[in-house]
Amino acid sequence: MKEKALQVLVVEDNAGDVRLLREMFKGEKPGSFELTHLLRMGEAEAHLAKGGVDITLLDMGLPDGHGLETVRRAHAAAPNVPLIILTGLDDEALAAEAMTQGAQDYMIKGQIESRALPRALRHAIERHRMQTETDLMRTHQMEFKDEFLSHVSHELRSPLTAVRQFVSILLDGLAGELNPEQRQYLEIVLRNVKQLHSMINDLFEVSGIQAGKLKIDLQSTSVSDAIAYTVNTLRGAATAKGIVLPADIENTLPSICADPARVRQILVILADNAIKFTPQNGTVKIQARIFEEDPAFLLLEVSDSGCGIDPDKTERIFERLFQASDRDAADHNGLGLGLYICKDLVTRQGGRIWAKSAPGQGSVFSVTLPICSLPALLAPAFSEERHSERPITVVVTEIGSQTGWLSDQVRTDQCRSIRELLRASLYSDLDILLPKMDATGPGEIFFIAAITDGIGGEAICNRIRRQLDNSERLQQAGLTHSTSYRSLEPIKQNSIESKEAFLERVAINIQDLMNEEILARQVRNG
Amino acid sequence: MDSKKILIVDDNADIRLGMHLRLKANQYETFFAADAFAAVAEARKHRPDLVLLDLGLPAGDGFIVMERLKQVPFLAVIPVIVVSARDGLGNQKRAYEAGAKAFLQKPVNDDELLAVIRRALGEPAGTKKPTLYDQGSV
Repeated sequence: MKEKALQVLVVEDNAGDVRLLREMFKGEKPGSFELTHLLRMGEAEAHLAKGGVDITLLDMGLPDGHGLETVRRAHAAAPNVPLIILTGLDDEALAAEAMTQGAQDYMIKGQIESRALPRALRHAIERHRMQTETDLMRTHQMEFKDEFLSHVSHELRSPLTAVRQFVSILLDGLAGELNPEQRQYLEIVLRNVKQLHSMINDLFEVSGIQAGKLKIDLQSTSVSDAIAYTVNTLRGAATAKGIVLPADIENTLPSICADPARVRQILVILADNAIKFTPQNGTVKIQARIFEEDPAFLLLEVSDSGCGIDPDKTERIFERLFQASDRDAADHNGLGLGLYICKDLVTRQGGRIWAKSAPGQGSVFSVTLPICSLPALLAPAFSEERHSERPITVVVTEIGSQTGWLSDQVRTDQCRSIRELLRASLYSDLDILLPKMDATGPGEIFFIAAITDGIGGEAICNRIRRQLDNSERLQQAGLTHSTSYRSLEPIKQNSIESKEAFLERVAINIQDLMNEEILARQVRNG
Repeated sequence: MDSKKILIVDDNADIRLGMHLRLKANQYETFFAADAFAAVAEARKHRPDLVLLDLGLPAGDGFIVMERLKQVPFLAVIPVIVVSARDGLGNQKRAYEAGAKAFLQKPVNDDELLAVIRRALGEPAGTKKPTLYDQGSV
């Protein structure tokens, strides 16, 4: 069988070097390599984009491109084509750096042994192929694993629910009175079922986290309710160990912007851990107050008088499957997923989590969550991750007085401010919406563009409406929510498009939407 | 006063029995259906005060049951509570649009189920003995 010639693209502006390179292929079987020679980066990009190239030999000093930039451009034009850098002796450090930008290898001109080049090319292609294959396999495996975990934990839940239900029916005496021994044994069953249940939930949760499917419904959430729930849920476990579980809550605390179920989950995991690792008759405390370092956040603390954690492990405990020691795993029957889940949940809700501890001194787990405000509600919709991975839907909602409409000048300014807003949102944590609304005078219209995954639009608008209803300050500014939301078709970022370009496109779409709305109003108002 | 009648629609016999025991203990009379067809037939026959409806059913799904109930004037007024293991968001919205009074995600907490039933029936908040499990005292 005749093998297909390997297509080699040589991008090199020095005719002498090209001649030398061609020489090196003289000893090869005719038809095994086919060299295409181009002088400029622009030509090379166009050629690569057409496809069909097996490997590129790239000089980093070209008339229309220089240094690492050429590597990036070549890589961007054809990410799957292996790249070998040709470099002079004095540029070796730069060439080595090019390897971090996607180059497979580099060769120093004048030091290439003539038979070595074809061999190096073959190796580079082979290595690249294997790498690609491994990456692909790993991605498939991860996907399969998540799907499997999710499916299994879902299926395990139903029969376990039935077990739980019937045991509690027996314990509640619905099938007749129990004698003390029967009751004791059933309570053991129930305790173990509960543990199994929480492990399955952890698995389910982790598979959701891994697959990015976790749902968080941000809303105005009472911390004291969450703490009361946690204390109620765990009182039994605490009492069994003689542990007092007081909750110290200020009644005047503002509500936070979080998913109430997720906050309860976080607190239960932390307090449950605290109880597990605290000896008989110790104390576990749950506290909440405004975070001194940043008053836009509430600080929740779960502290215990337990065995403590080695200070150099206080960060690692949030890693997946981490157990402080092997003994812990055996003694405390967990999967080592709780803190990992906590961290993920806290981070997704815009907060931070950390631990302070020393062996024998007890531990304090601290969680911050944003206090409920409009920007905090919208912040996750603007997260960077969302831009790069998923198509987005832009929801435009309008805040303004019901009377009057604004001049063209204001309209233009508004459009501009949307662009600024979007741009700023990409890089900051978006605490700019509310101040902007504050600065808006009576009678003006303010548009809010929220980026959602396509279903949250109406919910966001309702929350904005509630925020406005609740805020005296904004009402004094004459702001009301006057129209319902409209959403754009999902917009997806192209792989070659920069964030800025993507943003610009989104802004233009919003502008179009606004213009349409304005036109519609003018027609309505004659 | 006569006890209220509740129709339990679920294809899992264990779940039907579990709900029945819990509801009976709280003075409700129960009837059962294991598929979409039987659900409508049993509803016609017993004229329940409330329907507990699973979504995944043989011979049609919960949404079809709701649609068929809506077509019969004396069945259309019966409050329906959807109890499903299906993923919340989309189904929840659809269920409410189809006229469900509430949407509960399986596994359902017994106290929550009873509270929702009482609300749907317009009864005062109940005095059910809370389960040990739900209190977390075990």
